[in-house]
Amino acid sequence: MPVMVSKRRFGAIMAGAVLAVAAGPAAAQNFGPPELIEAAKKEGKVIYYTADFAEVEQEIIKEFNKRFPFVKVEMVRAPGGQLITRIKTEAAAGKLAADVICHSDRGLILAMQDLLADYAPPNAADYREDVQVSPKIWPRQTLGWSIAYNTDLVKNPPKSWMDLTKPEYNNKQIGQVVGPSGGTTWTRTMFERQVLGDDYWKKQAAVGVALYPSGAPLSDSLVRGEVSIAPLLYNVIFTKKKDGAPVEIFFPPEGVPMNMYGAGITKTAANPNAAKLFLNWALSPEAQAFMIKELGYLTALKTPPAYPPGFDPAKVKVWVPNFEQYEKLREGWLEEWNKTYNYRQ
Amino acid sequence: MTGARRETRRGRSAGMLIGRLWSAALFLVLAFLVAYPVAMLLLGALTNTNPVVDGFGVFNLSLDNFVTVLANPNVHLALINSLIACAGGTALAVVIGLTFSWVVVRTNTPGKRFIAAASMLPLFVPPLVAAVAWSILASPRTGLLNVLLGAMGIEWRFNVYSMGGLICIFGIYYAPYVYMFTASALRNMDPSLEEAAEVTGATVLRTMFTVTFPLIAPAIISGMLLSFIVMLGIYGIPAVLGTPGDIPVLTTYIFKLTNWSPPLYSTAASVAIILMVVTGFLVWLQYKVTSRRSYTTVAGKAFRPALLNLGVWRYVTLGLAVVYLFVVVVLPTLALIIAAFRKFLSIRTVASLIDDRQYSLIHFERLFANPLVGRSIVNTMEVGLVTALVGGVLAFSIGYTINRTSLPGRRSIDILSTLPVAIPGLVVGVAYLWAWIGLPGGLYGTIWILALAFIARFMPDTVKALSTSLMQIHRELEEASWICGKGVLGTIRSIVLPLARPGVIAAMTLLFVLAIRELGSSLFLYTSNTMVMAVLLLDYYEGGNVGITAAFSLLQMLLLAVVIGIANLLSRGARGTETSMGRAG
Repeated sequence: MPVMVSKRRFGAIMAGAVLAVAAGPAAAQNFGPPELIEAAKKEGKVIYYTADFAEVEQEIIKEFNKRFPFVKVEMVRAPGGQLITRIKTEAAAGKLAADVICHSDRGLILAMQDLLADYAPPNAADYREDVQVSPKIWPRQTLGWSIAYNTDLVKNPPKSWMDLTKPEYNNKQIGQVVGPSGGTTWTRTMFERQVLGDDYWKKQAAVGVALYPSGAPLSDSLVRGEVSIAPLLYNVIFTKKKDGAPVEIFFPPEGVPMNMYGAGITKTAANPNAAKLFLNWALSPEAQAFMIKELGYLTALKTPPAYPPGFDPAKVKVWVPNFEQYEKLREGWLEEWNKTYNYRQ
Repeated sequence: MTGARRETRRGRSAGMLIGRLWSAALFLVLAFLVAYPVAMLLLGALTNTNPVVDGFGVFNLSLDNFVTVLANPNVHLALINSLIACAGGTALAVVIGLTFSWVVVRTNTPGKRFIAAASMLPLFVPPLVAAVAWSILASPRTGLLNVLLGAMGIEWRFNVYSMGGLICIFGIYYAPYVYMFTASALRNMDPSLEEAAEVTGATVLRTMFTVTFPLIAPAIISGMLLSFIVMLGIYGIPAVLGTPGDIPVLTTYIFKLTNWSPPLYSTAASVAIILMVVTGFLVWLQYKVTSRRSYTTVAGKAFRPALLNLGVWRYVTLGLAVVYLFVVVVLPTLALIIAAFRKFLSIRTVASLIDDRQYSLIHFERLFANPLVGRSIVNTMEVGLVTALVGGVLAFSIGYTINRTSLPGRRSIDILSTLPVAIPGLVVGVAYLWAWIGLPGGLYGTIWILALAFIARFMPDTVKALSTSLMQIHRELEEASWICGKGVLGTIRSIVLPLARPGVIAAMTLLFVLAIRELGSSLFLYTSNTMVMAVLLLDYYEGGNVGITAAFSLLQMLLLAVVIGIANLLSRGARGTETSMGRAG
């Protein structure tokens, strides 16, 4: 029997619902005390240096501005190595413009932690301790490796990392980002050797893979059909699939290597409150959920607020590198990787 | 001694003093713009330090970086590849550039204004854009041209990811450099020698190779040298086309080093110094060749070059220009349009190419939703204008001082102003940052630091372009003006500037275009408020989105065309005669 609701009661429910929608997320999420928000409003802007892709960062900034329209985010984006040089030089000349710095290589940002102020987000305790390299540096973005293939071209798709060593995928059907490309690829190569076996590189190199300098051009080549299969960071290919590109993506059963960006607030920040608000928001469950659902990131929160499509937490094993080994093994192993894949450095 | 003589002597010594002060002033400007950043670069190469971070007191000079670099077989390979690609590209550029300048200036081919414009158009296409367009057209597996070949049942495939591909793209896109120099030289050349050759019964071809081309040899050599050097420093084309074909060149190698985690600038600077040695040798060679004889061809005598009647062949020359325009502009622009309007560039069949469901405005919508796009356009135009105006004035001052005066120190000024040609943009960017960030005042973070970097970086191109026109103006014209009682400034204003005007306008326009396209030195100097288009374009490309990269490229090309068109109209209106890009450049 249908439940009848009186007009008055219906009005009350609607009003409650509107209030809940308006106040709900803000009340549930803690972005900082009202004084902080007020001070950030007065500063009005934050200068943000990042090594992540500009287009993706724009999406995140747009979402931030939906919540806090009064803080204008001025972004400088540069590839990893160049960003480090710029930060170091500006800092030495006493002209570091950045309020917030975010870099893909936690080792490099750790080496500059003297430039960073003490900072922790309100939900600091909710983050995994094993990914933290310094109390000043926070995993604003978390990326996970996946395998993607072009559905127009691959009739018998691979199902695991080990499948990428099969001779049937020979003759440069597989595209691979070179090991020394940056922190994320080093994490993947480390995973391949530590988890998939000492001879994994050798087996895969024998198949004959097309080498790419970075992930974004590879994802484009995959969509265009220049290569058929490619290990890619999930977020690099996810948005293309969402837009309807002929690709399929899966998280391989042997494990998903994760790489965290490190973000922090500079000691010299001209807009320290806006900087804090910007990072508090980015590290909140709200922003992390947005980045997972809309942009294909993962998260370093102990309890993820969401999962990307195809990510079954009961089945997928995430793999985080031991940071000490990440730093110590890097040079020697990458040199071996270069030799194995005949990559000229 | 009479009073009049004393007066003259006093006047002369005052003139000498002013001349010396002028030389010193130019020298100081160049020291700031060129010598100081280059010294920083050398310091970086020799010390393994960042001079700003580690302080200037650290002088543990060592040649370790050079030794490591010189012993590295990968550097040898990159160097050899660079030389092959640039030599091949230059040869092709000379054939194309010289052919079209001769066709435009010396023959009665119809549609010459069109051919002149077509010959300059590739200059508006940034290298990264040209390379992306050609990878869409002629990549071996999915290139649009190859899809068409497949549909026609032809087995053969284009492969732009090869050394041959690199040479072709270099050659067709850098031909304007040769055209620019040779067209203005041909136009300013007294044709009486050619006429004499023809009267004595020489054929057209014989006249061309024994009279015309030897007479404009400095222009050919300058164009050749400049196109070779510019190719040597280009990153976009070998990055897009050479990387998939596993053809490393010096610039892609340097980029890799600067982008390392942690970046290896000292090694990059050492590799850059290899580039500087190669180009330094070429500059010296050019000096040796051009200083041996006089190339004055513009004198006080009035002349009107007679056009060669090509008969029916004039339609063949027109056809050549149409084919060139089609290959260099129409095809790549079509590729960019398809990429910009297509949701995904996954095109396997001709049917898919014409399937309208695959097309949308999504890339343009995303482009215009990004607030950085508008800001970068405004910034780029500002930087381009400042660079063209300030750089043009400076280059004219330098060119005039070097070529038309006997002031002390002009050889050093010449060498200093030529130096930046040898330094690749990717490395010099960090040298400018090191050199200028510590200066008092608010230079860093403004568009002025970008403009100064561009002025310094393109000084050789601008000075060389101007020098060619200045070298052709006979001294007798200036002497006549002095005899009539005009001073140096008055003579420059009333004689030299009007005669060299096509060269000056061409040089400034060139500077504007180069500034708008420049990526390497912008990367380190732009800040959140001074983002320029070239940097944003690289961001989009690196972000792996060909569609939005193509959309932005189209926008950039359109803006360049509009700005150049306006400049062209303005310059024509001001002078009342033909000083179009095609004529001047």
